[in-house]
Amino acid sequence: MNEEFKKKYHEKYLAAKQKGVKFWPDIIYKDLIVSFGLFLLLVGLAAFLGVAQEPKADPNDANYIPRPEWYFLFLFEFLKFIPGAIEWVGTAVIPGIGVLILLLLPFIDKNPYRNWKKRKIGVAVMSLIVIGIIGLTVRAVITTPEQEEVALAGSIAEQVIQGQDLYSFWCAECHQPEGEGGEIIGVEGIEDGTLVKSISSIDEMWTRTDETFYNIIDLGQQDLGMPPYGLGYGGELQRSEIEDIVTFMRYTWDERAEIPEDAIIGIPSLAEGEVPSYEVHISIVAKRYCVSCHRPGKENNEYLMQTYEEILTTGDNADKNVIAGDLESYIIVTLHRESIFDASGEEIIGPMPPSKDLKAEYIDMFERWVLAGMPETADEATALSEPIMEDAGDAAPASEPETGTEATPP
Amino acid sequence: MSGNTAEKIFAWLEERLGLEAIYATVLDRKVPKVNWWFTLGSASLFLAVMQGLTGVFLTMYYVPSPDKAYDSIQYIMNGVAFGWLIRGIHHWGASLMVIVVFIHMLRTFFYGAYKYPREITWLTGVFLLLFTLGMGFTGYLLPWNQRAFWATTVGTEIVGTVPFIGDFLLKALRGGTDISAVTLARFFSAHIWILPAGVVLMISVHMYLIIRLGISNIPSDEE
Ligand code: HEC
Ligand code: HEC
Ligand code: HEM
Repeated sequence: MNEEFKKKYHEKYLAAKQKGVKFWPDIIYKDLIVSFGLFLLLVGLAAFLGVAQEPKADPNDANYIPRPEWYFLFLFEFLKFIPGAIEWVGTAVIPGIGVLILLLLPFIDKNPYRNWKKRKIGVAVMSLIVIGIIGLTVRAVITTPEQEEVALAGSIAEQVIQGQDLYSFWCAECHQPEGEGGEIIGVEGIEDGTLVKSISSIDEMWTRTDETFYNIIDLGQQDLGMPPYGLGYGGELQRSEIEDIVTFMRYTWDERAEIPEDAIIGIPSLAEGEVPSYEVHISIVAKRYCVSCHRPGKENNEYLMQTYEEILTTGDNADKNVIAGDLESYIIVTLHRESIFDASGEEIIGPMPPSKDLKAEYIDMFERWVLAGMPETADEATALSEPIMEDAGDAAPASEPETGTEATPP
Repeated sequence: MSGNTAEKIFAWLEERLGLEAIYATVLDRKVPKVNWWFTLGSASLFLAVMQGLTGVFLTMYYVPSPDKAYDSIQYIMNGVAFGWLIRGIHHWGASLMVIVVFIHMLRTFFYGAYKYPREITWLTGVFLLLFTLGMGFTGYLLPWNQRAFWATTVGTEIVGTVPFIGDFLLKALRGGTDISAVTLARFFSAHIWILPAGVVLMISVHMYLIIRLGISNIPSDEE
């Protein structure tokens, strides 16, 4: 650029300034409007979209699909077009040259003109690059598979509820539904009769920190028979899931922790003559007391209890497990701690749950349910229920409390 | 009386600080008539300041350790009054700032504003773009959630592919072979000290040049 040109530039710029406006207030005023608009936009985004919840980092969960910040996506997408052997050309050389050209642009571009009509090549190249970046970003967004959603518990109550479900599913078979421990019976991989101490006692709660619990679940106590659950140690639980279990244990069993009201999901008790439904009653009892063994991959005579259909139709003895109106259904008989024998006198099913009585209240619940023909929804159950009357007591054989008292093993 | 006192205080300050000269050079100057695209630079500045303010607030509660980072963010979102708003603004502000700074760059490119005498304004600008992206990259890890962890894993892996020095760069970034507590501390330090220092420095030079050279006029057909 020669001196002549520089002089001309300064003259023209001076003229443009003369015809121009005052920085204050004319320019500032526009700036403020735009900034204020952006501010409102930000508050709106923060208030209405918020920040997406994500589970805590889990270095062992290699299934997680990495998602860089969106403004780097185009780079990752670009790399897909570069053969692996020369990946470094795409990761280092091309971006490096790009940044260098951008930095030195004023010194590379010797064309003195500023109007785009006189810089067609430069403008065209930049436009293509921008279109390329946008195109690659869009492509990346479209082609990235959806992340499998992990149920994310936010509040303490949600964590406790989720932890309860996880506990019932994974742990109750050995530690019992209330963490009370005792003899382990009928669990694959551990010898029948192995004793576990209570993990819900005061001793346990006051001497174990959350971190200790976390580590025990993550790593297991393999010499004692407790399997590891962390993804990093061959288990199947994500970090956040283990944390939910610990939160559940702490808030439910530690007298020092106050459990939030909405975290307690009780099993609704039945009134006189009321018929329980799968939806409201049986599903919760089953989830808490049976499913930890009666799910796929466990020793259970192929009897699964995770859905309504499964309870009615699965099992080696599917035809005898649950029979409408019949208290000789295996599910009822075994709940009364009686074994089932085959023709040759061999025991084929032991008492259920194997190591401990189910509460009489819940056995009664199963009986009424079977007698009423296993209603699924609450509406069906209500339709079957006895109308509540003063003397309804005698009229409802299903609710005779005899079951509770006879529930002692022979 | 009071007017008199105020005048005296102003005169005292004026004598020492030269306020009127600042007013004359910074605010009371003529500039060419320009359009709305020219507001994007100050919009970038505004967003940078917002990020700074909300960021300072976040550091009051944020704990940069793998054990505590996630929980401290949970606490900001659920336990601190308006914490969700501040974090929301910081979160969205980061994305918005990248967009605005990028479009601001395009505007100066398409108007040829990087040419004589504004070469250095452009040069500092490119550094500002790189620092803005760097802030986004380092900030992304801080919540220590799955998204953060895995994005940083692949992001730093890219650096590892650079010929010859890749391995060294990767270890320098991560502070070891894996993403760990050291990485988090390193990214945190870069995010709140090193990069902001660079941004402040570059913005200062950028602003000085804009005031010194004036904003460019919209080029006419002959320019
Ligand atoms: C296969 C049976 C089994 C399963 C399933 C199981 N554990 Fe254990 N667990 C054990 C045994 C055995 C011990 C050893 C403790 C003992 O000797 O009393 C143990 C110990 C523990 C202890 C440590 C007690 C202490 O303070 O030393 C905790 C806590 C615990 N388990 C929690 C869990 C949780 C939570 C789950 C579900 C994710 C679970 N366990 C699943 C068998 C099991
Ligand atoms: C600790 C594990 C465990 C728990 C908890 C458990 N079961 Fe079982 N269940 C088994 C095993 C093992 C079998 C296979 C028969 C056997 O070995 O006794 C079985 C078999 C059965 C069968 C017979 C299935 C068939 O088709 O042969 C029924 C019915 C049954 N269980 C009902 C229940 C109910 C109802 C509950 C919950 C109240 C429950 N079980 C809880 C381990 C368990
Ligand atoms: C944090 C980021 C940035 C801030 C805060 C910022 C701020 C500003 C401001 C306030 C102006 C005044 C004119 C206008 O608003 O358009 C400006 C002008 C300018 N900026 Fe930036 N900028 C940033 C990034 C960039 C980038 C990334 C580039 C280019 C690579 C750049 C290049 C320029 C140039 C060349 C001018 C002079 C424009 C002219 O005089 O017409 N800036 N900048």
